[in-house]
Amino acid sequence: MNAFDLIQPDTLEEALSLLNTDDPLVRPLAGGTALMLMMKSKLYAPERLVSLQRLKPSLDKVKVDEAGRLHLGPLATLRELELSPVVAQFSPVIPKALRTLSNVRVRNVATLGGHLAHGDPHMDLPPILLALDAQVRVSSEAGHRDIPLSEFLTGYYSTALAPGELITEVVVPPLPQGTRGTYVKFTALSADDWPMAGVAAFVRLEDGQISDARVAVSAATERPVRLHEVESFLRGQRPTDEVLHHAGELAGTQIHPLADIRGSSGYKREIVKVCVRRSLQQIAQTDHNGDGGVTQ
Amino acid sequence: MSKVMEPGVQSAAPSGQVGRPVKRLESAAKVTGRAEYIHNLELPGMLRAKVVRSTVAHARIRGIDTSAAKALPGVYDVITAEDILKVIPDPYYGPAFHDQPILAIDKVRHVGEPVAVVLATDVHVADQATDLVEVEYEELEPVFHEVEAYKSQTAIVHDVIRPAGTFADLKSLQPRNKTNVAMEYHLRNGDVDAAFAKADYVFEHTFRSQQVNHLPLEPTVTVAQLTDTGNLLIHTSSQSPSFVRIEVARLLGWPENKVRVRTAYLGGGFGAKLYIKLEALVAALALITQRPVRLSLTMEEQFYTITRHAATVTIRTGVTKDGRIVARDCKTWWNGGAYADIGPRVTQKSGFTAAGPYDIEAVSLDSYAVYTNLPPAGALRGFGIPQLVWAYESQADIIARELGMDPLEFRRKNILRNGRPHATGTILEDAGTVEVLEELARKMNWDQPFDRGSGTIRRGRGIAIGVKAAVSPTTSVAFVNLYSDGSCGVYCGTVDMGQGSDTAMAQIAADVLGLRAEDVRIIHPDTEVTPYDMATLGSRSTFHMGNAVRLAAEDAKQKIVAMCAEQTGFDPAALVVRDGGVATPDGSFFTFGAILAKRHGMQAGNVLGVGSYFPYYEKPNPETGMSEHITPYWMVGGTGVEVEVDMETGKVHITRLVTVGDCGKAINPGIVRRQLSGASFMQMGFTLFEEMVFDEGQVVNASMADYKIPGFWDLPDINEVSIVEVPHRNGPFGAKGIGETGSLGLSPAVANAIYDAIGVRIYETPLTPEKVLKALREKQGQGWEDA
Ligand SMILES: Cc1cc2nc3c(=O)[nH]c(=O)nc-3n(C[C@H](O)[C@H](O)[C@H](O)COP(=O)(O)OP(=O)(O)OC[C@H]3O[C@@H](n4cnc5c(N)ncnc54)[C@H](O)[C@@H]3O)c2cc1C
Repeated sequence: MNAFDLIQPDTLEEALSLLNTDDPLVRPLAGGTALMLMMKSKLYAPERLVSLQRLKPSLDKVKVDEAGRLHLGPLATLRELELSPVVAQFSPVIPKALRTLSNVRVRNVATLGGHLAHGDPHMDLPPILLALDAQVRVSSEAGHRDIPLSEFLTGYYSTALAPGELITEVVVPPLPQGTRGTYVKFTALSADDWPMAGVAAFVRLEDGQISDARVAVSAATERPVRLHEVESFLRGQRPTDEVLHHAGELAGTQIHPLADIRGSSGYKREIVKVCVRRSLQQIAQTDHNGDGGVTQ
Repeated sequence: MSKVMEPGVQSAAPSGQVGRPVKRLESAAKVTGRAEYIHNLELPGMLRAKVVRSTVAHARIRGIDTSAAKALPGVYDVITAEDILKVIPDPYYGPAFHDQPILAIDKVRHVGEPVAVVLATDVHVADQATDLVEVEYEELEPVFHEVEAYKSQTAIVHDVIRPAGTFADLKSLQPRNKTNVAMEYHLRNGDVDAAFAKADYVFEHTFRSQQVNHLPLEPTVTVAQLTDTGNLLIHTSSQSPSFVRIEVARLLGWPENKVRVRTAYLGGGFGAKLYIKLEALVAALALITQRPVRLSLTMEEQFYTITRHAATVTIRTGVTKDGRIVARDCKTWWNGGAYADIGPRVTQKSGFTAAGPYDIEAVSLDSYAVYTNLPPAGALRGFGIPQLVWAYESQADIIARELGMDPLEFRRKNILRNGRPHATGTILEDAGTVEVLEELARKMNWDQPFDRGSGTIRRGRGIAIGVKAAVSPTTSVAFVNLYSDGSCGVYCGTVDMGQGSDTAMAQIAADVLGLRAEDVRIIHPDTEVTPYDMATLGSRSTFHMGNAVRLAAEDAKQKIVAMCAEQTGFDPAALVVRDGGVATPDGSFFTFGAILAKRHGMQAGNVLGVGSYFPYYEKPNPETGMSEHITPYWMVGGTGVEVEVDMETGKVHITRLVTVGDCGKAINPGIVRRQLSGASFMQMGFTLFEEMVFDEGQVVNASMADYKIPGFWDLPDINEVSIVEVPHRNGPFGAKGIGETGSLGLSPAVANAIYDAIGVRIYETPLTPEKVLKALREKQGQGWEDA
């Protein structure tokens, strides 16, 4: 790793001003877990980084507002989200997914902002937040804009963030009553590996019928995606074995898996089919008080 | 004589120190961060080195331009082979062959090969400057697969093959120039054609093992400095300080006494730190700069430094209808990578065990060490044996099932018993082949019905047993020193890299001298202080060094007893050594310190005991590859697993793991148990998912983020270890090595269990979910297309 300057601004204004620069290599540094890997392998060799650590007190809030929306500060660490009663109350799927994310040492330093801004398709939270219709607030010296996560994640390691912009908040709208969710993670190598496929599903059942379904896939694909065809197929159906099996098969036709060391594209497609079906089965099988869960 | 120790149950508590589950002597230092590692060593005025590595797999070097790197502020110097040649005119090193240049000369043979070195006081500056060194390559045809390399006549990795002649056992093995065969070993025992003609069935299969990495938590590190008299002092995380000294002295044309090599605790080794790794380079850099120089590898660089051999094994076995193996013909191609390292010894030592723990009338074995354009392969926990057991124990199950026999019965029928000749001609002695197999059967409840399930999750169980011959010939020397107050220091070159050897050696010395193991101090390897030891490898230390320490302690004991006899007038035979002193028949007791004080008139003097051990060995006959004394002892390990296989994803989960090993005598049962299960877990990673993935010789996953090793969540739900004790007549207190025994059987046991669960056979490790599902779908006639 090459030597670099680390600037530690005390306020958001200062940070945004430091990031408003002509040097395209200047980036914000949050937990550093992703950046350091890139810097060590020299994929990225900046001369200056802007640390966000001193902004933590103002940007790590986790709360639910009067309208029932969950607000997450970008500097909240993954561990803080995992242990937050507010998050668990909002959706137990999030803390359960976090418990399987790498290891506690990584979660202690990695932040939500870095997790989303990195644009790595192999992350665990994006599919969940995508299925939850999360919005990302990004700020710059010019002001701020709110972007749906589905538009924020634009591709393989790419996001809608423009130079000089910071994620300053993530907002999740309240879940309709009776919605149950789950996250199914499949690792091909060790158990603490990055997922080879991740499927988040949230389903609302009314009188035994699916009134709402949201399904998102990550890791197997170039970027986390919602499976709209699967969702509309499910709406109005009863969650029978045939229906859920068909949903899985349909999911297989909706994605473009990328081959890598963890699996060929053909295998990933097979696994996504299984994970989609299993996620739906799990939800259908949990009783009304159950909260779904995370399975590996 | 033999016995099995139940976990949790102490064997009949010995009054002495041997057999006591002594806690590791260094535990407190380790958990408080005080244990010494070379990794933490800083010296005043030290330069740090960063290596410029080849980016291509096979090429001639047209030119190296170091000017931009040298111009970077803070860079002290940039060194290439040209500079090395000025201090070491023939800078080729290696344990088996002198084929590895300290820095590439004219040619590079693998991606990651060291081409130049940047020196700076700031390691980040050195690192940055490595990118500024321009190397111009003229690319040559590379070759990667061992079988292709064996056949290739165009892609030749080494124009000239350079055996070192270091090891007596390798002297008869001749290289073939103008090929990629570094070394070949052949064994011919009996009339194989006639035996195959007698067989009712002949089975032939090819199995492959992938290339994997040792990945010790502390990557290799070496610091070298010149002493006041211009001698060299090398601090290094080495498993073989004596070898490093010999090799560095040879390269420099110096006597051994001008080179001092010392080490400390190692953060793991597993064979990655054996023989000579960074030491020749760092010594040369210290000589060139006349300053202390340090080179420590990154995790990533470990993947380009030393690896475990990928291997292709074609095994043909002839059996009779009633399940007797009558003939075996086995060919193995070892992917040695670009430099031989210890590959030729792996080729021979593993090569001759391909008959397995079985009694076979006629055997023909061929084993080839093959050069390729991949990072070099060397020794890794098992020395090649796990790759062979993978083949012969997978095949054992295939045969048993084809014959409609129970896999355990098939093994029972063919197992090699003590008193019978092994394929090499060496008579099996004191080896727990039968005992390990029977203990495995018992632990696995093999005679009980087993529920294989019927839904998505299917269950299966499998067993495998392997045998390894301890490497030979090797020598260990130890000193035991009773200081003037009677306290004891043991000087031995065994490197404690986490396996607990300090504790075991202390127990052996303490047992002989009537001390507590906790009170014995182990002096760490330093060639200026500790005597010769071949290396800490191949599960040899407990047997070889254990014997040397025992002999040294007995020597010291005899001397102090003689001294006491002289002082008291009693016959030495009437004196008893206990509790750090000598008891006389009249009821008096003299501490060792009191005896020395009496001799010297004050607290002064030493009693020095010396022990040297080197077992009898006969090198293989050059024609037949056979020998009556091929090894000082055999290691026998068996593994049983119960697995769950997900029929929809191919994922294999080991629910129960049983590791059985024969250690002769457990000097320290706690350590033995952890060595067995540790080796088993390590092999589990190699079996289920670890794999170095290459793209044109470049390691695609050269980092711990992408090359995954097992973590806690990967451990089996139930993990059981059984220690079998079949004492060895020459072992210290009957002990044999145990460090690799747990690695032997695991891979085939898992594959056999997968077959038992879902009826699918996998011939290549790792047994990833994709491979398993693919094989299952193919069997069901429902493959998939890539997207
Ligand atoms: C060994 C290891 C294993 C891992 N395994 C997993 C896994 O299994 N599953 C998983 O989901 N993740 C895994 N991770 C990844 C981890 O989730 C991410 O590295 C982490 O979330 C990134 O957060 P960070 O704060 O460390 O980001 P940083 O490294 O600090 O930053 C990452 C990127 O985000 C930018 N950035 C940071 N904060 C902001 C902000 N507020 N606004 C705009 N841009 C910002 C940075 O400039 C940089 O480009 C693993 C990481 C490691 C090191």
